[in-house]
Amino acid sequence: MVNPILLIIIPLGTAFLISTVAGSLKNSTKYLAFLALLANVWISISLLPQVLKHPVNVIIAGIKPPLGINLLVGPMGAIFSIIISVAGILVLLYSFKYIEGEGQSKYYTLFLLLITGSQGMILTGDIFNLFVFFEILAISSYILVGYAGDRNGFEAAVKYLILGSVGSVFILVAVALIYQETGTLNMADLAGKFASVASGKKMMIMLFFITGMGVEAAIFPLNSWLPDAHSSAPSSISAVLSGFVIEVALIVIIKFVYSIFAMTEILQYLSLVGVITLLVGEFAAFNQGNIKRVLAYSSIGQIGLILFAMTLNSEAGLSAGMMQVVNHTASKSILFLVAGYMIKMTGSYQFTDYKGIAKKMPVSSFLFVLGVLSLIGVPPFLGFFSKLNIIIAALAVGNTFNTVMVFLILLGTIIESVYFLKILQIFYIGDPIKGGVKEAPFTAVFPIAIFAVVILLGFLVLPEINIYAGSAAAELFTKIQITQVF
Amino acid sequence: MSGVISISLVLNVASSGLILLGLYIIFTQKNLIKIVIGLGLADTGVNVLLVSTGYIDGNTAPIFSNSALNISNMVDPVPQALVLTSIVIGFGVSALALALIIRLFEKTGTLDTSKIRGLKW
Repeated sequence: MVNPILLIIIPLGTAFLISTVAGSLKNSTKYLAFLALLANVWISISLLPQVLKHPVNVIIAGIKPPLGINLLVGPMGAIFSIIISVAGILVLLYSFKYIEGEGQSKYYTLFLLLITGSQGMILTGDIFNLFVFFEILAISSYILVGYAGDRNGFEAAVKYLILGSVGSVFILVAVALIYQETGTLNMADLAGKFASVASGKKMMIMLFFITGMGVEAAIFPLNSWLPDAHSSAPSSISAVLSGFVIEVALIVIIKFVYSIFAMTEILQYLSLVGVITLLVGEFAAFNQGNIKRVLAYSSIGQIGLILFAMTLNSEAGLSAGMMQVVNHTASKSILFLVAGYMIKMTGSYQFTDYKGIAKKMPVSSFLFVLGVLSLIGVPPFLGFFSKLNIIIAALAVGNTFNTVMVFLILLGTIIESVYFLKILQIFYIGDPIKGGVKEAPFTAVFPIAIFAVVILLGFLVLPEINIYAGSAAAELFTKIQITQVF
Repeated sequence: MSGVISISLVLNVASSGLILLGLYIIFTQKNLIKIVIGLGLADTGVNVLLVSTGYIDGNTAPIFSNSALNISNMVDPVPQALVLTSIVIGFGVSALALALIIRLFEKTGTLDTSKIRGLKW
C-alpha cells in the first residue's frame, strides 16, 4: 500500500529542497517541482481503489489516535487529492514559460507549499493539524498573490492577508472551544463526543468555524478579498486559487457540518447563503470590464452553486456538488490560463481590447470557448450534467424553498451566459488587433487542452464519475464512526 | 488558589477582551500598521484562550521526571503544545504582513487604506 502521507511529505520536502539548491540549479528547479507533483498524481490515483473499499487510516509516529495524530482518507479525500495533484501539475507545466525572470525557484517553492497545505487540509484527521495546514496554504497564497511585484498585487495580497488572518483567528477560537468542551482534537473521536455538548455552545463553535473557514471559501459576505486577489495574482495562481483552494475550504466546512458537528438544522440557512453568494457573484461579474475580475466574480457564483448543492441534506446533492467541483476546477482553470496569455500578448486587462483575437490566437480562443460552454452548462459538456444533477437533487427534496432557489440558480445561469457570450463575441467578431499578438506556446496550450479534454469527454465516463462522486457523498453524509477508524 | 475571582474567569475575560479589541482595531482603523497591531492583539487573545482550556486550578506543570508529582495534580499539556505552534504562526503572519506593507508603501507612498485605491477596499 502506498502511504497517503507521501502526498504531503513529497511536496513539502521538495519545497525545502528547491530552496536549498536554488543557488546552483537556478531556474532548473522547476523540473524538481514537476517530478514531485508527478509522484503526487501517481500516489493519489493509486489510492482511489483502496479507499473505495475501506477508508485508510494512517497513524503518525506510532502513537495511536485519539492521542496521536492521524490521516484519515476516504473517497472524498482521495478524489480531492487527485483534483489537487492533477490541476497542480497542469498549472505547473503552464508556469514553465509563463513565469519569467530570475528567482523563479521562489515561485516553485511556494507553489509546492500551496499544494502541501491543500492536500493536508483534505487528508488530516486532526483539527489542530487542519489549522496548521490551513495556515501553510494561506501564507503561501498570500505571497503568491503578490508574486508579480506590482502595485495591485501587493494591495490585493495585503487585503487577503488581513481578512485571511481574521479567518484563522476564528478557526483557532473554534478549535480551542472544541477542545475545552470535548477534550479531543481527533475528528473521529470528536464526531462521537460532540453530540454531548450543550446546544448553545455547539451553535457558537459552529458559527466560529464556518465564519473562519468561510473567509477562505469565499462565502458571501466574507468574500470581498476574492475579486482583488484572484484578479491581481499571476494567472497561473488565479487558476489554482479558483480551481481548488476555495473548494478545499468549502469541502472542509461541509465535512464538519455533516460528519462532525452533525447539525443538519443549519443546512437550509447555508443553502440560502449559497444562492445569495451565487447571485452576488453573477451580478457583480456582469458589470466588469477586466477579464480576470469577470472570472473571479464568476468563481464566487460557482462556489455559491456548489455550496447550495452540498447543503441540500441529500446524498444526490452532495454527489452533484462533487461533480460540479470537478467541472469548475477544469473549466475555470482553462479560462484563467487562456486569459493569462491574452493579457501577456495584448498588454491589456480589458476584454474590449481583445477584438478579433481569435484570428491571432485560434487554439487558445477555441479552448476558452469550450471552458465557457462547460461553465454555463451546455450539453454535452460535464457542466451540463453537474448542473442538471444539482437541479434534480434540489427538486427531489421537494419543498417550495428549494423550487424558488432553483429558479434563482437558473436566473444566475442566464446572467452568466450573457456576460460570457459578450466576451466570446468580442473574441470572434471584428478586425484582428494589431501588434505582435501570437499563439501561446506549447507548454501553455498543452495543459489547457488536457483540462478541455476532461470537460469535453467527461460524459463518456459519466457512470464512473457518478460512482466516485456518490461514494464521496456517502462518506460525507454518514457520520465518521470511531469503530471504523481505530 | 482560592481567591474571590477564579483564575479561569480572569483568563476568559482577558482572552475575549483581547480578541474583541483586536477585531475592533482591524475593522475600524485605516492605518495598515495599526491593523497589523490589531491582528497581533487578536492572536494573543486566542493564545490566552487556548492556554486557559488546559488550565486546572491549583495543579502544577506536567513534568514527569519528578516522581513526587501525581498525574492528577498536573495541568493538561496539550494546549500548551498547541499554543507554541500558534505563536510561531502568528509571528510569521505578522512578519509577512509587515514585509508586504513595506513593499506596498514603496509603490503607493501611503499607509492609509482609504488612500490606496487601486482596487476597491
